[in-house]
Amino acid sequence: MSQETGINIASSIKDTIIAGLLALIVFGPVVGILLDGYGFETRFDDVAWIVAIVMAGRFAISVFVQTEAGKKFIYRQLIKEDGVTVTAPDYKSKMRYIIPIVIIIGLIAPFIASKYVLTVVILGLIYVLLGLGLNIVVGLAGLLDLGFVGFYAIGAYGLALGYEYLGLGFWSMLPLAAIMAGVAGAILGFPVLRMHGDYLAIVTLGFGEIIRLVLTNWTEFTHGPNGVSAPLPTLFGLEFKRRSRDGTPFHEFFGLSYDSAFKYIFIYLVLFLVVLAVLYVKHRLTRMPIGRAWEALREDEIACRSLGLNHVLVKLSAFTLGAATGGIAGVFFATYQGFVNPSSFTFFESALILAIVVLGGMGSTLGVVIAAFVLTVAPEMLREFADYRVLMFGILMVVMMIWKPRGLVRVTRKGFATRKGVVK
Amino acid sequence: MDIVLQQLVNGLTLGSVYGLIAIGYTMVYGIIGMINFAHGDVYMVSSYLTAIAIALFSFFGLESFPIIIFGTLIFTIIVTGAYGWVIERVAYRPLRNSSRLSVLISAIGMSLILQNYVQISQGARQQGIPTMLTGAIRFDIGDGFVQITYMKLFILFAAFLGMGVLTYIIQKTKLGRMCRATQQDRKMASILGINTDRVISSVFVIGAAMAALAGVLVTLDYGAFDFYVGFIIGIKAFTAAVLGGIGSLPGAMLGGVILGLSEALFAGLISSDYKDVFSFSLLVIILIFRPSGLLGKPEVEKV
Amino acid sequence: MSNTVVRKTLISLAIAGAAFSAQADVVIGVAGPHTGAYAAFGEQLWRGAEKAAMDINAKGGINGEMIKLVKADDACEPKQAVSIANRLVDSDEAVAVVGHFCSSSSIPASTIYEEAGVLMVTPASTNPTLTERGLPNVFRVCGRDDQQGDVAASYIVDDLGAKRVAILHDKDTYGKGLADAMKATMNSYGVDEVLYEGLTRGEKDFNAVVTKIRSVDADVVYFGGLHSEAGPLVRQMREQGLTATFISGDGIVSDEFVSVAGSPEYVDGVLMTFGADPTSYAAGKVVVDEFRESGVEPEGYVMYSYTAMQVVAAALDATELDPIAASDWLHENSIETVMGTKKFDEKGDLTISDYVMYEWDDKGKYTMLNN
Repeated sequence: MSQETGINIASSIKDTIIAGLLALIVFGPVVGILLDGYGFETRFDDVAWIVAIVMAGRFAISVFVQTEAGKKFIYRQLIKEDGVTVTAPDYKSKMRYIIPIVIIIGLIAPFIASKYVLTVVILGLIYVLLGLGLNIVVGLAGLLDLGFVGFYAIGAYGLALGYEYLGLGFWSMLPLAAIMAGVAGAILGFPVLRMHGDYLAIVTLGFGEIIRLVLTNWTEFTHGPNGVSAPLPTLFGLEFKRRSRDGTPFHEFFGLSYDSAFKYIFIYLVLFLVVLAVLYVKHRLTRMPIGRAWEALREDEIACRSLGLNHVLVKLSAFTLGAATGGIAGVFFATYQGFVNPSSFTFFESALILAIVVLGGMGSTLGVVIAAFVLTVAPEMLREFADYRVLMFGILMVVMMIWKPRGLVRVTRKGFATRKGVVK
Repeated sequence: MDIVLQQLVNGLTLGSVYGLIAIGYTMVYGIIGMINFAHGDVYMVSSYLTAIAIALFSFFGLESFPIIIFGTLIFTIIVTGAYGWVIERVAYRPLRNSSRLSVLISAIGMSLILQNYVQISQGARQQGIPTMLTGAIRFDIGDGFVQITYMKLFILFAAFLGMGVLTYIIQKTKLGRMCRATQQDRKMASILGINTDRVISSVFVIGAAMAALAGVLVTLDYGAFDFYVGFIIGIKAFTAAVLGGIGSLPGAMLGGVILGLSEALFAGLISSDYKDVFSFSLLVIILIFRPSGLLGKPEVEKV
Repeated sequence: MSNTVVRKTLISLAIAGAAFSAQADVVIGVAGPHTGAYAAFGEQLWRGAEKAAMDINAKGGINGEMIKLVKADDACEPKQAVSIANRLVDSDEAVAVVGHFCSSSSIPASTIYEEAGVLMVTPASTNPTLTERGLPNVFRVCGRDDQQGDVAASYIVDDLGAKRVAILHDKDTYGKGLADAMKATMNSYGVDEVLYEGLTRGEKDFNAVVTKIRSVDADVVYFGGLHSEAGPLVRQMREQGLTATFISGDGIVSDEFVSVAGSPEYVDGVLMTFGADPTSYAAGKVVVDEFRESGVEPEGYVMYSYTAMQVVAAALDATELDPIAASDWLHENSIETVMGTKKFDEKGDLTISDYVMYEWDDKGKYTMLNN
């Protein structure tokens, strides 16, 4: 930034004109000429609007960055902070009060909320689980995994196929799917962990795609693109259906009239408790040696290895735990949707989960929870914009990254006081 | 026999297209270490630009094939280059000092933006262009034959010409030297007076231009595209870049050709259902034994 | 800070839920891929339904109440279909749904409509599974893939007398269902396929598969899938010098098929099964003309969507807006629509299959084959 104070309008105008010309080149053909068969129609008024908006925007930005506030903003963007806030040793987080309140609200909410809101929240919670799982791999251990959706698929198909071939229900598949996905994570992790950063990314991407392609093509076993239906969870053997095939359905047992919201309430409650459990486990893990080792390895692998950390084991444990969490999320997804097919497990899904982790703030648990809800609820709320929904979603991703590149929530660490009375 | 040879021809043309797009990935990766996920969609935009250019030319009554091709190429490369520049300026440069993951998310966001912006402005229709160049050379072999269409010959020729020009630029020109210097050590390069921001911008423009070349060639050959074509071909091209060793220009081309050939041979001789499973497995296996890809420099690591 | 974010999220959730609840008219959802790769079909559904609703409202609405359409976008993804179906029944309080388009969306969504007692009439989902599950509220005004496969198979065996048939599909619910149905019928006639392969949807290079078709020397190629893949496929076949007859289903019914194939000469002679021309019914002439006057060609599923809306309106009108009674009513009665008289069987399928063979000509138009 230049030293002179005051606003240089001339240079702003220059910027504006350049931006306008670029907008004309970039938007002119694609917006202005609408292909129609082999011919075209013109829509130059739209181009004029876009160019005008771009120029106005560029002018505003150009003037803004010359003001004091703008300079401060730029400065904040330029400095590179480290990602962790260390609190004072005697700092008591306000989360002590918030967490119980959130838990109570979370437990009451399903009985008040409408079914649609409930399904959106369930989806949000599933993404919280996925985000937490990937957060262990990417956020804590620093391994870029672009194929996380593979484990999600293993969990979802585990429930659907386990029910179809082995007659296993929701409750037996929940732990089994976690184990299956964990084992898959370990098998994948073993050969690829000696790779670095982006090679690891592409191999995991390949793995995710392979899982999806096998699910699509192995028709005899998975029914291919037709998908498989998945069972609903039961409450001590009571089913949440209008008519139960064997035994009494839930509503008859309790003498209630049937309401399809019951099953969503039940799925929600189970999911909510599982998410709480996973949150707790993860909270403890990050304070245990293994969690510290993940983060240390993320920061400097060479240093860790020279200090005698078994990097393979540490990475493998992160991969396995993350994958197992993804598997659990898959089971819930399958039971929520009642039907799974391969089109739910595309690369876009992996990217979305990764976006949750990065947007939330790498390694931050709270951030993941918030980001998961933002990213699943935002598209639902943007439904009113129908055609522009995904476009706005993309813009949101870019703008969020520019505005807060380190994510919404910074990781905080409790500071340690030096012990008194230690002999020096 | 003729079938195998024909599959080799199919694979070679497909592979050279992968290679051209892979260059965009590999150059950007080499210089700022990011995976430009929006690159596949830049290719997609260039498909639309190709059709727009052809529609414009035929509207103004130009019929001659060489003029149309040449004009389309120039128009598409310039506009797609502008896209590359704008994308870098808007979505990546503000994140120059952030973690690589933030840039990756920004790139994924950009990819969504491009896809949906094109969908909104051009409609979700399948698009096509009229056939421009027909005819083929046919070689008789035994009972069968191998044929290569003029369009495919043109693709091979143009792809290798594009590669040659690019290699010349990188190896011999001042811009190329600045690119290589920036790739080696960005901080040092800027100390030595290289405007690294400008170099990075030009790398995006070059990458986009190569994608545009691929876009024009593929669109002329297949004649069909929609706003979603960038995704699959982008993933494949990225795979090719990694296969050949990301950051290495000849690697990108080699990776592209290997990927194209192996896909065609596997689909043709074994099963097209599992074609993609095979390509990804091939990638995983190569990376396990050569973790830096075929032509990539192995990372030196000391413990 | 985190506190406020959580609160804001919860509040906005509540708003999102409440925003839709205050409506008095008859709400009917039009569910389909309004965004995404198949948005063109979503647009066809919307156009047909919108026009039908306008026409019905102009004549006094259903039972005196006006139809209010709600556009519901599933992008042809099952996940979004579930979510949008719940929103339609819950927040929008829709009594009926015209949709969805993709079978993979219709199947999971239909369960939700069944539970909520909402009437569902799909203009386009042809997968047999949809109605095979015995849901009382699910109807379709289009045919079924297996009927379509039967027509294609008997044409291939009887009329073309083909011996070497290659079957391709796009690995998706619709395309593979179609290919499998056609394969089963053909095999039952004693003809075995020489090749059975899947393509990847979204790709445009099928040269490897085309060369493979050449190697098995097929004289008929049957493709289960959509025009986005069929166009490049048939073009690459012709470019490689293959003259085998190309047959597909109603997924290629769109003028785009010609532009995607690159030139009308490539689609010349392509055969397809499709319901008897939806614009050819005498009952629908006025509507078709009105469409054309307003500059909209009623291609593909536009008329089907119009018909679906008429079916919904007729059933709701007869039962005083009770969707559950309307489902029962539809199983019993026949309805006059712009596509002739429609009657449903106990599964919710049309009683009369109207699939016939069409042929594309070198002008890029298709005409019904008389046989």
